[in-house]
Amino acid sequence: MSEIYDIGYRHYDGPRLGRAHTTLALGVHSLRGVFGLGRPARSKIMPFSLAAVMMFPVVVSIAMMALVQQRLGDYSGYAVVMQAVIAIFLASQSPTVVAPDLRHRVLPLYLSRPVTIAEYVGAKVAAMTVAMFLLVAVPLTVMFIGDLLVDLPGPPPTGEYLGAVAMAAVLSVLLSTIGLALAALTPRRGLGVASVITVYLLSTGAAPMIFAALYSTGHDAAAAWAWLINPFWLVDAVQAGLFGTTQHIPEGSYPGGPVPALIVLALIAAAVAVLAARYRKAAAQ
Amino acid sequence: MNTVVAGITYRALLGRRRVVLLLLLPLALIALALMFSFFGGEDQRTTVDLMRGFALSTLLPLLGLIAGTGVIAPEIDDGTIIHLMSKPISRPVIARTKFVVAASLVAVFAAVPTYLAAWILVGSEDGIASGFAVGTLVAGIAYAAVFLLLGVVTRHAVTIGIIYALVWEALVGSLVPGARRFSIQQWGQTVADQITTSPFFEAEVSLGFAVPALIIVTLAAVFLTGRRLRSYSLTGDE
Repeated sequence: MSEIYDIGYRHYDGPRLGRAHTTLALGVHSLRGVFGLGRPARSKIMPFSLAAVMMFPVVVSIAMMALVQQRLGDYSGYAVVMQAVIAIFLASQSPTVVAPDLRHRVLPLYLSRPVTIAEYVGAKVAAMTVAMFLLVAVPLTVMFIGDLLVDLPGPPPTGEYLGAVAMAAVLSVLLSTIGLALAALTPRRGLGVASVITVYLLSTGAAPMIFAALYSTGHDAAAAWAWLINPFWLVDAVQAGLFGTTQHIPEGSYPGGPVPALIVLALIAAAVAVLAARYRKAAAQ
Repeated sequence: MNTVVAGITYRALLGRRRVVLLLLLPLALIALALMFSFFGGEDQRTTVDLMRGFALSTLLPLLGLIAGTGVIAPEIDDGTIIHLMSKPISRPVIARTKFVVAASLVAVFAAVPTYLAAWILVGSEDGIASGFAVGTLVAGIAYAAVFLLLGVVTRHAVTIGIIYALVWEALVGSLVPGARRFSIQQWGQTVADQITTSPFFEAEVSLGFAVPALIIVTLAAVFLTGRRLRSYSLTGDE
């Protein structure tokens, strides 16, 4: 155990819970922070109202299933349809995970305890990932339970639901690593929010433009790649490749093969590398 | 207008890494324009689509947001605004200075790149480039004023600003026709429509509504920012 110095107080003889426990505690604390739990009411407004907006199509969908026996949308397309809300949640909440510790320069205090920098960053990424997963998977699950209870004719779409939840996990790892890497570049919260949303809006605005430019000039094969600029369509492309679900894009189709999945892995690796470099520097301050 | 406050604000926004955020969007717009002209899609329709679908609807609100909140919100966030407020400078003057800085940044980083991007594609044909540049400029000034006000009213200024720009202007505006009258982007399009004679572009709000609305919103936002700063109380960090 690395303690700084001993000034003669009575020692602690109780059980030592170890590094795993410290990391877990840090992760749970960060996860609570994402939703503003344990913080004043004004920190809870934004995450909970965005989570409520995520539930809105679910309520409408269940009502439609019960009243007119029709599904509003499919499970596989939920994240793509709600992408603006998910992106706003990511942008507004990822700085709350990383910015305060960086701004107040308390990383050396954390590191004076047995927790290592990798465990610190891992706990933060895990907390944000769990938060993003809950944001997407809870409405999906509620919609599926509603689907089972209404009991429409035909078999329930269990496979599609499970695929959508698995893809929600992939999406949340991708989004939270990228979001935290961008947010950790600045210790100011407002700038962190702005940089995350700028990157998202750039990717969303540019993808259809690039597609149209390439498609109208006859570069059809190249045009398909334009959709992969946006992280939501990228994960949708992986889903379509794995499970053969509908492609939720305005026009055209995704490029097939394993490349979309490889891009997802490469982006996650790049974001983790940025985080590692950033925190190696922050820890030395 | 206080030149010292303006100088400090410019330095805070353009210093080191922060300028990257301001440069990212205009560079993306010009890169898109270059790509369009490289693949030979440089007709008026694509230009108008790029201007309306990217320059006015994505680049402009974001830059207005970054510049408008960026001139004051970080100072409030880390508490250094107290040093500014304790100086014998009238608060409305501080508000006006911050607004001028934000407006000039929007002009440089949004209006100029918009002109360049349109010029790369169609030159000075039918006044598309100058029309959209002027439209971006006036709408950008209004955005800067509104987001400056938002920055002193709430700590969630950036998030609320994004929700306004994304949800209200993009989503509600496209579904509810009446909501389009209350969108800064649409007012900017109206001004652009007065200058350009391109047959592919038609604004939806009348000039008689858009121009007074732009002026009233800008002046009211700057005035209210000054009012708000006069009786400002610093609250603790969350």
